[in-house]
Amino acid sequence: MVKDASNVKQPRKTMQQAVGFNFYDVFVVGFCVIFAAICFYPMWYVLVASVTPYEQFVKGGALLWPNGGVDFQYYKMIFENSSFVTSLWISASKTVLGTLLSVLVTSTMAYAVSKVHVPGMKLLNVLTVFTMFFAGGLIPTYLLYIDLKLIRTYWVMVLPYGLSITYFIIMRNYFSYSVPRELEDAARIDGCNDVRVFFQVILPLSKPMLAAVGLFIAVGFWNDYYSYMMYIATKPTLQPFAWVLRRVLTDSAMMSQMRTGAVDIGAQLPPPMALRMATIICAMVPIMCVYPFLQKHFAKGVLIGAVKE
Amino acid sequence: MSGQTGVPRTRYFSKEPRESLLIRFSLAVRKYWFIYLLAIPGFLFLAVFSYAPMYGVVLAFKDFKMNLGVMGSPWVGLTHYQELFADPAFIQAFKNTVIINIYNLIFGFTFNVFLALMINELQMKRLKSVVQTCVYLPYFLSWVIFAGLVQVFLQAPVPGDVGGVVNQVIQSMGGQPIDFMKQPGMFRGILVITNIIKTAGYSTIIYLAAVAGVDPALYEAAAIDGANRRDMLFHITIPRILPSVAVMFLLSISQLFLSNFDQVYNLYNNFVLNTGDVLSTYIYRISLGGGGEFELSTAANLLLNVMGLIALVVTNRFVKKLDVMGIF
Repeated sequence: MVKDASNVKQPRKTMQQAVGFNFYDVFVVGFCVIFAAICFYPMWYVLVASVTPYEQFVKGGALLWPNGGVDFQYYKMIFENSSFVTSLWISASKTVLGTLLSVLVTSTMAYAVSKVHVPGMKLLNVLTVFTMFFAGGLIPTYLLYIDLKLIRTYWVMVLPYGLSITYFIIMRNYFSYSVPRELEDAARIDGCNDVRVFFQVILPLSKPMLAAVGLFIAVGFWNDYYSYMMYIATKPTLQPFAWVLRRVLTDSAMMSQMRTGAVDIGAQLPPPMALRMATIICAMVPIMCVYPFLQKHFAKGVLIGAVKE
Repeated sequence: MSGQTGVPRTRYFSKEPRESLLIRFSLAVRKYWFIYLLAIPGFLFLAVFSYAPMYGVVLAFKDFKMNLGVMGSPWVGLTHYQELFADPAFIQAFKNTVIINIYNLIFGFTFNVFLALMINELQMKRLKSVVQTCVYLPYFLSWVIFAGLVQVFLQAPVPGDVGGVVNQVIQSMGGQPIDFMKQPGMFRGILVITNIIKTAGYSTIIYLAAVAGVDPALYEAAAIDGANRRDMLFHITIPRILPSVAVMFLLSISQLFLSNFDQVYNLYNNFVLNTGDVLSTYIYRISLGGGGEFELSTAANLLLNVMGLIALVVTNRFVKKLDVMGIF
């Protein structure tokens, strides 16, 4: 590769020297900025539209900046609706519980399996990864949860996610490749047994990784509506926020109930679009709060333990 | 699976017989009890939530009666598969899944590689991190939220409500508003584009990590020899990421029969069922989603799993040759 480049003996006269800027750079920057804007603008638009007063919104005056002042009426409507508040609680509690459980179960097993010299661990590894590609499927799982008495309970949204296979692989690779073997060996020479190695060497070293994976798992729990939809479906007291959001976005009956329930009779009904947008923003806020941390680990590639050096 | 734990291999020529599996295992447990202890919770979760449901796949060959249970229900052989292949909705869902995946491979995959190269070429540190922050963001939003954004954006105007941004723009330019979400011809395109916007940033990570491993001395040497940035892109960066690209390509092929339930379920509606229904939504729709066809759904799911497994084994052979990454 270096050889190819060395064939070019004379530095070329670049565009930059000729016209003062480089078309190549302009293309690169232009492409990246446009795609970044496409990723970002929808969220910005929804935020702006959700605080734009009704009269302005109907005129279509909410494309870039809230014209005619900021108005939080839609958010007030949301927080006055009891099913929203309940669902926020459900989502928050299952996120906390589920994340703790999942990090605990997944990390301990990942550490055990990373000890490939222990008999049985290679087999356990294959058995675990296999479930990524072959599963019982929707109905067998549903029937099993009936037998386990998990159907239509809160715990069906937490327990089945105790072992996360994706993060199991990431954690296992982290323990295998990223924790320096020398430190563990040194501790053993100083007389540590497996227990002390785990608690005094491995755990302190893995805290950043555990925190990062924990955040990712937490986002997964917050966004999960699937378990409610499949295994609970009809218990309003257990609805997670993600499900309420889905209903607001798709279910016109829910929308009209909210619109009429929240406004004085005779007042102008709020446009369903703006109300939808406010709900979307509510669901996005917690993720936005942790996003800087997520992105930090994400961009550093901490989570791609799969790349062999 | 290693020889350590599998069936003990009898060596006819060995002088001493090896200890039985049980004895070796109990010795190991005594020595590594703590490691085994750590594995127990995960093992239990694996057994209960991943392996226990697997016995239920026999439903694909049974006539399920709630009161008899899975095991007590009578066998019916391949009846459900005959039924499945006679169902035009299943055939359509199968076709849609493969077609959408091929589109994703052609457009999505290429775009991801291109985006990674472009981000890598950004010279201004500040701009680069702003761009990365923006493109990673959609990945963390759930499909519910993202589909909500898409629908709000593409909505057609109805009485009492302005349409989404796209239709506002179309109208301001004098065009007729389009109800995008109800056009069967546009739905696959919408799926591919929304998938790109949501996941392109995420998929650049692996390529950017591969580029980050390039020795800077290579670029310096190239610069001294008079290479410009485009030359470096073609002669250093691209050859360096090719192995990762090949692996990702093979992995995508291995997922030819998989479909994104979350995406399709949150975006589709009855108007676009014909072009948009994929296998995972079909499996849901005919069973818990109102159809009540438990056996048929299980049969479709089993077929899907087996085909996916075959695709994976075949492509994994090629991946192993490349020796870049392994999940096992």
